[in-house]
Amino acid sequence: MTLPQRITPYLYVAPLIGLLAFVFGYSIVSMVEFSFKMVRGIDGPWIGLRNYRLVLGQPLFWESVGHNLLLLLAIPVMVAIALVISLLLYERLRGWKLVRTVIFIPYILAIPIVAVVLKQMFQFSGPVNEVLRWLSLDFMALDWIGSGDVALWTVMALIIWRESALGIILFLSRLLSLDEALTEVARLDGANWWKRAWYVLIPQMRGVIEFYVVISIITMLSAVFAYVYIMGGGRGGPGTSTMVVELYIYNALVRTSLPGIAAAVSVMLFAVSLLLIWVLFALRRRTDDAGT
Amino acid sequence: MTKNMITAPGFGRRGFLQGTAATLGGLGMGSLLGPLRANAQSPELTMWWWGEQELPGLQAFVDESVAAYTDAKVATMLQDTAVVISQFQTAAAAGTPPDIQYLWNGIYHMESAWLGYLKPLNGLVSEDTLRASNPTILSNFGGNTYRLGWYPLPMVWYYNKDLFEKAWLDPEAPPATWADLLAACEKLKTAGFEPVGGGVQDGYWSEWYMSHGFVQTLDTVGEAVELFIGDKDFREPRYHEHWVRLEELRTLGFLNKDMPSLELYPGIDLIVAGKLAMGPSAGSRLPADSTATNGRIGCMVMPVFGKGKLAGKPIVDMQGIGIAEGAKDPAAAAAFLEFLNTPDRLNAFHRITGWIPSSSRFSSDQIENDSVRSMWKTWGESPNITNVTNLMPGQFYEQAAIPTGQQVISGDLTGEQAGELAAQVAQEWREFNPDLVEKYQQWVVDLSK
Repeated sequence: MTLPQRITPYLYVAPLIGLLAFVFGYSIVSMVEFSFKMVRGIDGPWIGLRNYRLVLGQPLFWESVGHNLLLLLAIPVMVAIALVISLLLYERLRGWKLVRTVIFIPYILAIPIVAVVLKQMFQFSGPVNEVLRWLSLDFMALDWIGSGDVALWTVMALIIWRESALGIILFLSRLLSLDEALTEVARLDGANWWKRAWYVLIPQMRGVIEFYVVISIITMLSAVFAYVYIMGGGRGGPGTSTMVVELYIYNALVRTSLPGIAAAVSVMLFAVSLLLIWVLFALRRRTDDAGT
Repeated sequence: MTKNMITAPGFGRRGFLQGTAATLGGLGMGSLLGPLRANAQSPELTMWWWGEQELPGLQAFVDESVAAYTDAKVATMLQDTAVVISQFQTAAAAGTPPDIQYLWNGIYHMESAWLGYLKPLNGLVSEDTLRASNPTILSNFGGNTYRLGWYPLPMVWYYNKDLFEKAWLDPEAPPATWADLLAACEKLKTAGFEPVGGGVQDGYWSEWYMSHGFVQTLDTVGEAVELFIGDKDFREPRYHEHWVRLEELRTLGFLNKDMPSLELYPGIDLIVAGKLAMGPSAGSRLPADSTATNGRIGCMVMPVFGKGKLAGKPIVDMQGIGIAEGAKDPAAAAAFLEFLNTPDRLNAFHRITGWIPSSSRFSSDQIENDSVRSMWKTWGESPNITNVTNLMPGQFYEQAAIPTGQQVISGDLTGEQAGELAAQVAQEWREFNPDLVEKYQQWVVDLSK
């Protein structure tokens, strides 16, 4: 390969890298710089690793991290729901196109709108509990958003409901792109729906499932702010039961006048996200290699 | 002059046209130059303000006042709630602050003063105007005052007179002591009503409860600061007694059941709707709530349990306004603030907003609503205290004041555990903010007077 041939790919991506550097470059450099300073107003003295030490020594930070990690439990549920529904839709049952559209609606709606509506529904005296009491299921009428023991699970249920829609569409798109001859052969061989799904379809969806899992991990670690902000009363409540890392950063920056602390946590979250993106690309490369 | 022109020899059509043109031209130029001259002479001020969000009509008052003011041209900007402080601080740091800035009370503006972004008003605004506006003790630092009071926020406890009557309680004699409160709650509960509470889901109820309860244990507002800087300790029973009392209300079943899942204002709405008997509220809601209930909402001071010197006193928070250190013309800015405090403008404030301006120059006789006038006699015209939660560092507010109240109400914390958490968060705040601790230590001197 000649030198110009080796350089050519980089020349293609250079404008995009330049654009990214222009938009995010200064912010990222400032963020890293702030994380080593005690910032008041717009600047402050250099304090080395003190911000990192303070954050890593604070129970509230670790509690926030713990909540993000707990939210990862939603991912297997999301994958299972998305798989089952997409496989059912793939069977092209009557009205499947309408069902597909209805299922995707939650994902189109803005998170704050969905969260505000569900927050009203899940109040202690709200419609959900009223129905449960009407059905004489009082023991199930929990304080969904007012109890520290339940609130994070309620948020998780909302996330599962909304984010599964993306999985369904991704999986269905992959299914519709498959060669149906294999499925037909399996059907002719007498394989039932479950066997066709398990042995024929799902193995061919491996790449898209891995992609969805990694995207969902990144979501759970760094993109649940809107859910938690609305459902947790804007403060990760009740108490600190729905506090997550993003809200911790927001509070440090906006509410407690600690931009240096916010920057330190942002740097750590950024590093974790980069690591996950690297994992994603490694998986993609492995899948591609296996395919070729 | 006109007569001379008309009788002058040789005055023809050309002369008439020239004269007319000159006259009209002169008139036209005069009318153009007038404003230009005025603009050239009068300073231009910028004013960033907030408050329409909580006091509808304030925008109309600001617009009318700006239009009526002739000594300067004032450009105003209504700020978004989320950026009132950060927008000002960023502009001040960049050297382009507004001349006049809206300022919340206590630490919410004092941090800007410590950063050198605010100008002391003493010497700039007359002492008489400054004192009459009641900016509260929380606006003082190092012997200087950094805000002018603009409009008050009396912090009251609402009670529903109809529910009191139905529970055989005197609607004109609300409970004054903690024992009275417990007895009243028992009667209300027996009569089938939820006695006390509101909504704590968004956290503000926790703050308001501290405003009313925590202050009862203090002798001075400076004592609160001593708790934050570590000279005193929240683990002492006296300083977390308010959370123990809240726990008592919960364990006795006196708090409304949906309190943890309701937000602040829907919780207050329960009292207005006759579904809850008592709870903290804001006095600024009273004109509307009193009208809606035909005067059946009463205001009371939180029943007293504490033995501090501040216990049992009406609480009045104060919104304010100040001048930036980087103001282009501080004297002109001060003159505009003086203008807003003239009797004409104070009356206009009440006429347009329906609320009370913060000035002893305003006569409460102008308040037509009986409930509001009665409330203001107690909260505004009797000895009152400021809202001590405005002293809380942001970190303490977010990580202790708000969550402790929620957790005590939901039964996840006892009052004593709330005190331990508060002590831990105060310690963390000191470690995170050693520079602010020094400022707070100096502030105690002003606050303990």
